[in-house]
Amino acid sequence: MARDGVVLEVDAVSRSFGALAALTEVSLTVREGEVFSVIGPNGAGKSTLFNVVTGIHAPTAGRVRFGGREISGLAPEAINRLGIAKTFQITNIFPEISVFENVRVAAQSRARESGRLPSLWRLPDVGDAVTDLLTAFGLTDKRDELAENLSHGEQRYLEICLALATEPTLLLLDEPTAGMTPGETKAATALIRQIASARGLTLLLIEHDMSVVMGISDRIAVLHFGEKIAEGRPEEIRSDPRVIEAYLGPDEE
Amino acid sequence: MSRVLSWRAVVVGLLVALLPALPFMSKFYLLLAFDALLFGAIAMSLDLLIGYTGLVSFGHAAFFGLGAYSTAILLERGVLSLWACLVAAVLVVGLYALVVSYFATARRGIYFALLTLIFAEVVYTFFRYTQTFGGSDGIQGVPAPRLMPAFAIDTPLRNYYVVLAYLALAYLVCRVLVASHFGKVLVAIRENEDRARFLGYNVQRYKMAVCLISALLTGIGGALYPGRSAFATPDLMLWTVSGEFIIMVMIGGLGTLAGPVIGGAFFVLLQEKVSSYVDWYFMVIGLVLIVIVLFMPRGLLGIRAMLGFKQWRATA
Repeated sequence: MARDGVVLEVDAVSRSFGALAALTEVSLTVREGEVFSVIGPNGAGKSTLFNVVTGIHAPTAGRVRFGGREISGLAPEAINRLGIAKTFQITNIFPEISVFENVRVAAQSRARESGRLPSLWRLPDVGDAVTDLLTAFGLTDKRDELAENLSHGEQRYLEICLALATEPTLLLLDEPTAGMTPGETKAATALIRQIASARGLTLLLIEHDMSVVMGISDRIAVLHFGEKIAEGRPEEIRSDPRVIEAYLGPDEE
Repeated sequence: MSRVLSWRAVVVGLLVALLPALPFMSKFYLLLAFDALLFGAIAMSLDLLIGYTGLVSFGHAAFFGLGAYSTAILLERGVLSLWACLVAAVLVVGLYALVVSYFATARRGIYFALLTLIFAEVVYTFFRYTQTFGGSDGIQGVPAPRLMPAFAIDTPLRNYYVVLAYLALAYLVCRVLVASHFGKVLVAIRENEDRARFLGYNVQRYKMAVCLISALLTGIGGALYPGRSAFATPDLMLWTVSGEFIIMVMIGGLGTLAGPVIGGAFFVLLQEKVSSYVDWYFMVIGLVLIVIVLFMPRGLLGIRAMLGFKQWRATA
């Protein structure tokens, strides 16, 4: 697909909102099949980075390349069709239709009919793909339930189902375990890791929770005030003085 | 029968087709029935936008009126073929709808409603205040259109069956549409437009497409109107008419197709009955609407579910 298995290349991306520089020349390289995490305190620019990659914001400067192709400035739907899916930090599902219909509408986005004239009268059969996903996330019993009636944890899983149903090669997870109990977080982390490797997915993860990140990631980048201050394997990050300072504040002495 | 058409719909359709055989169906009642079916079909077309996609169009009267004017202008100039009138209406309404939907779907919520309203008011003002097409009098006394060269649609009965055929076809089109890939995406857009974009759907294109389809169905309905009334006037495009279309959808039940058909028919009959007794009939209709919205949020069609729910409670 791309040179040296590079899936996503964020190249010196800056993004400012008026006078506020949310990102300053951030560069990342995500390789095929790895789990790459972006961490940082609140306001570090993690979400802005995601928004630039998924097309909500165009970068003020710099480029984003996916599989060697420049995607900066494309619309979210165009970027999704190239194979990048994203889950949201705040659950973002279709509340008043059933769980099955939620995943169905996501899955049929990749059907041959999608966006073509026959889609006006045909309904592609994506039942198998939907059933597989619901089974993988233990939602089979809830398939006819309205999505809004699911528990918080189940909605988080449905959120991931929606993203996976569009058959991405790169999945962006924005705090996938937000609001989960420690037990749920552990189970969810294991499940995400397992599904990613089963599907050969590359994961780009934003997390707050250091324990999640350390357990799951191959590599980690740390953002602080919109700049990348460190990048490396989990054990390198854990002991990096700049990271500790960013998280705990400067040493008083 | 199939996922598209239920036996119940077919039976209801046949019963409606037999309606003119009833002994009290005078010409007056046939014309009233024509209006009921026509506005039922238009409310159903609007339901594609309001009920399924979550877009409130406040300008559907313009689609209706442009369809009516297309027919009236051709009839007045001696082009009597109904088919020619329909083609003209589809072209005129289609072109106008493309322009409106292109701009209106670029904005959301209240701005979409306002833009459709403003465009419709521009069209109304053009027909009302220029003399090109008769000014405020519109086009009066046009001859009846012909289905075939030797077959004029010149009686209430013939008009009734033409509008019934239109309603049946429009219903079929809408049913197929909402059960399709396209229809599922419309509901997703209604539920969560942003999420739909991140699933790879070009939301604006879907919105434009459904606007166009809804407008064309409405415009075809409008094109049948001069055959019944022998006129097209700017009042057909008044913003209050757009408001009435929305009321019909609300009365019938959002997102059900059959509901708005019932809502449109109910509205026409109620208006006829009440207005024959009092001048301030719209107050009565307003009260009925308030009662329906407050106590039957799922509309007239929701009564079934309400009754079913009570039975279920009683047996539980």
